[in-house]
Amino acid sequence: MRIVGITACPTGIAHTYITKQKIVEAAKECGFPCHIETQGTIGVEDELTAQQIAEADVVILAVDVKISGENRFAGKPIVRCRTEDVMRNTVGFLKKIEAKLNSRK
Amino acid sequence: MKMNFKEIKRHVMTGISFMVPVVVGAGLCQALGVILGGPNIADQTGTFIYFIYKAGNMAMGTMIIPVIAAAIAYSIADRPGIAPGLVVGLVSAEVKAGFLGGILGAFFVGWLVNLMKKHIKLPKTMQGLMPILIIPFFASLISGVVMFTVLGVPIAAFMKAFTDFIASLSSGSKFVYGAVMSAGSAFDFGGPVNKTVSLYTTGMLADGILQPKACHMVACMIPPMGVLVAWALSKIFHKPIWTNDEKENLKACGPMGICMITECVIPLAMNDLWRVVVSSVIGGSIAGGLCMMWDVQSPVAHGGWFVIPSFTHADKFVIALILGSLIMGTVLFLLKRRLSEEQVINGSDYDPNENQEAADVNIEF
Repeated sequence: MRIVGITACPTGIAHTYITKQKIVEAAKECGFPCHIETQGTIGVEDELTAQQIAEADVVILAVDVKISGENRFAGKPIVRCRTEDVMRNTVGFLKKIEAKLNSRK
Repeated sequence: MKMNFKEIKRHVMTGISFMVPVVVGAGLCQALGVILGGPNIADQTGTFIYFIYKAGNMAMGTMIIPVIAAAIAYSIADRPGIAPGLVVGLVSAEVKAGFLGGILGAFFVGWLVNLMKKHIKLPKTMQGLMPILIIPFFASLISGVVMFTVLGVPIAAFMKAFTDFIASLSSGSKFVYGAVMSAGSAFDFGGPVNKTVSLYTTGMLADGILQPKACHMVACMIPPMGVLVAWALSKIFHKPIWTNDEKENLKACGPMGICMITECVIPLAMNDLWRVVVSSVIGGSIAGGLCMMWDVQSPVAHGGWFVIPSFTHADKFVIALILGSLIMGTVLFLLKRRLSEEQVINGSDYDPNENQEAADVNIEF
């Protein structure tokens, strides 16, 4: 399962990046290629490329606030959740996503 | 317009995330002016320090409510929400409906703009007029008038009643008020509860009530200091309570705590949730209660140790901060289990992935 995603929290200095780190680490553990863009107070960092998005099987939007550029993911399966949902048990969360994706196929 | 609690919260949180830099920037300018120029800085027109003060003072006075209103309207209705959002925020400030009026007005604007986008059908040749003329004009007109006439009046009355209520509190109930608020600030280290208190206290700040923010700040600054106190106690009494990983995190807590970045405690709390939270809430709420009782006032929203000189009763704030940190540190030190040598090296046996149920997944295809 190839993952792209965006993280963004209200203050945009801590949870945004902790969540990203959590997803990246968990994805590595599960062997999922993964690219996460952060939209913190400083602005967009690690912006997703069109190719990364095109290749992805799922989009994870772990956001507590409005984000920019959501239209890039049109037509993709999107998981929308809060940052804290991801942080609780990231590996389990990714596995659940994978199971749901597979069950649809 | 149907909106569930989660969505409402996301819109308000978007508002806060846009507002915070304004509050910080303007608040610090204002505070710097007061520190350098003294309490009668407002009369020293034309001096360099006055310019610093006035730039911040103007922004604090007029800009905060419009910005949060515009950002909330933007979150709901995208770009077309911004202009009428600014208008409704300014009007809210004008009619003394303050921060609360700005937020509610912004939801009205968002709803109105979405309604207009959906129901006003123009011939194709004229569709360009929608974003440039029709929405800005009619949304501003309607929401502005509504805020002046309907929405603003009851909110202004409520705000006045609330302000009077706080002013009338006896010192005992002041302590309780400050303690409850600060307990929220100290509860989840920059998480949703903390942010809710932050929102409330910043709103009070925008409305010129400066005590709640001081309570919030002391409770944000205590957790990083408290864990360091616990670390010092564990050294003194030779009771190992931190793992090596945690000690790395502790190093960051010094500088980050000084800057009031309370989030640095999260990794420590994740490893040992209830002990850290309980001690933090105890220390934070006592200090917050004291701040409220002693009438400590913070004119700024953020900044940690650096902005303490700008406070009214700064000395008492420092006492509350030290006291709260010592209390939290002591409680945490007493609550913490003694770790074996292996646990110090390999981490306590706690594995968050094993003990916690993953959140529910909803995929939109």
